[in-house]
Amino acid sequence: MIEVKNLTKSLPNGRKLLDGISFKVKKGEFVGILGPSGAGKTLTLRCLNGLLKPDSGSVIIKSENSEPLDICKIDKRELRRVRQKIGVIFQGYHLVKRLSALENVMIGKLGQINTFRSLFYGFTDAEAEDALKALDRVKMSQLAGMQTGSLSGGEMQRVAIARAIFQSPTILLADEPISNLDPSNAKTIMKMIKPLSEQMPVVGVFHQPEMTAKYCTRVIAIKEGKVIYDGDPKLSNKRLEEIYGEELELIEQQEHMMPLTAK
Amino acid sequence: MRLKEFKFKRYRKFILPSVILLAVTEGAAIICGATFDDLFGGLGRGVLFLGNLFPPNWGAFPEMLDPALKTIIIAFLGTLFGSLMSIFFALLAASNLANPWVRNATRFFIAVERAIPEAVILILLIAAFGLGAMPGVVALSLGCIGMLGKLLADVIEGIDPLLIESMESVGGNKAQVIVFGVLPQILPNIISYTLFRFDINIRLSVLLGAVGAGGIGYELDYSFGMLDYHRAFTAMIFIIVIVFGTERLSYYLRKKIKMEGALT
Repeated sequence: MIEVKNLTKSLPNGRKLLDGISFKVKKGEFVGILGPSGAGKTLTLRCLNGLLKPDSGSVIIKSENSEPLDICKIDKRELRRVRQKIGVIFQGYHLVKRLSALENVMIGKLGQINTFRSLFYGFTDAEAEDALKALDRVKMSQLAGMQTGSLSGGEMQRVAIARAIFQSPTILLADEPISNLDPSNAKTIMKMIKPLSEQMPVVGVFHQPEMTAKYCTRVIAIKEGKVIYDGDPKLSNKRLEEIYGEELELIEQQEHMMPLTAK
Repeated sequence: MRLKEFKFKRYRKFILPSVILLAVTEGAAIICGATFDDLFGGLGRGVLFLGNLFPPNWGAFPEMLDPALKTIIIAFLGTLFGSLMSIFFALLAASNLANPWVRNATRFFIAVERAIPEAVILILLIAAFGLGAMPGVVALSLGCIGMLGKLLADVIEGIDPLLIESMESVGGNKAQVIVFGVLPQILPNIISYTLFRFDINIRLSVLLGAVGAGGIGYELDYSFGMLDYHRAFTAMIFIIVIVFGTERLSYYLRKKIKMEGALT
């Protein structure tokens, strides 16, 4: 489980980017974070794995076999250890383009294997087999040996998911995983992420309410650094207007094309 | 505005810089004692001297093979060790990997190193280790750091920061971030710059040979010293072939890397 308590973050000029963000996500939940651009969605997500340190507040991770841990209050070494079990799927894939898809997947376990062994790309056969299985789950095993730079956007995102699967995390975070993809690829990726929530809490940042309505179990809306909605993923027009304000017109156009949100 | 006036305005901006340039050139020539008489008189003697070189002494051909190979090996080893050291210093000189103190100290060292010519390093090394190929290799290796260290550090500073972040997000430590995130990204640059440096090092190796590192440069210097111009001409032919050959090879390999998209 991951519990976020009262996260705050401000710019030096005093402008509040995060203003008391709090929520809990349990295993079995696929939580979509929505909100207009600049609302603080990605900042919140970055706080969840310690890529960003909040000014105050806490991010507590509770797993079955260990004590609860506040990742905002641990040192660098401990943070590296905790991150080994937090999978992240990034918007821009963040894969090493000159390495093969399989090698990129293996990077998922970088923090978990001996440093000296990893420096010589000394992964074991068993690890390579597991990495191939992870690629197989996202239907990419046939392209395992391809240089990642030659893959399409959708394929790269699938490799990124395979990397997160191979990492065998206890929490999965996804930062706008479908923003760069066409609707068909976006659906495929969402279908691949959703079943992972049965094994671990999944938190994703999205810009597509119709997608969160269809695939997420819960939606959290953030606006001006505050949580303004936390509940059912199917949002009414009134609620969408509340969340997006002036951006709503755009969303309505999307709704018109893909009528998936509840009226 | 009349055409004449326009033309004058157009060329006026060149007048002052031209006058300054001429004055500086004249001043420099007076200080150095360089005269047109020397230039034209020297040209005549130069042509006569070239005539003395012909024909090359083909009999000296076999005895030039070993020094020529030595020159290539000095350049090769100098480039190999130099590029490895440059990668190390580049990692320390990149602001996105090293802390500011280490970065600034390494950048300063690289800048100082760049300011010292390889021949000067060699003379210092010869004083310490004596004549031979080893000081030549060390001088060329150190010479690489000034150029490759700076170029690679700049390349590292320009790599995708998000990729480093993604390595850190799975718990990777600094060494793992470098091996998996940084080196694969800069590998094409490492290869390309190293080949270019090898090209430079071949020329420097000839020069260092004459200063005391041995090899074909020494043969050239020795032959001129003994006034054996035909033998010197044979050494010159070797030098031209080696320099031109490595220049072509380096150009071909760099182009191949570029064509395969490794540099993009």
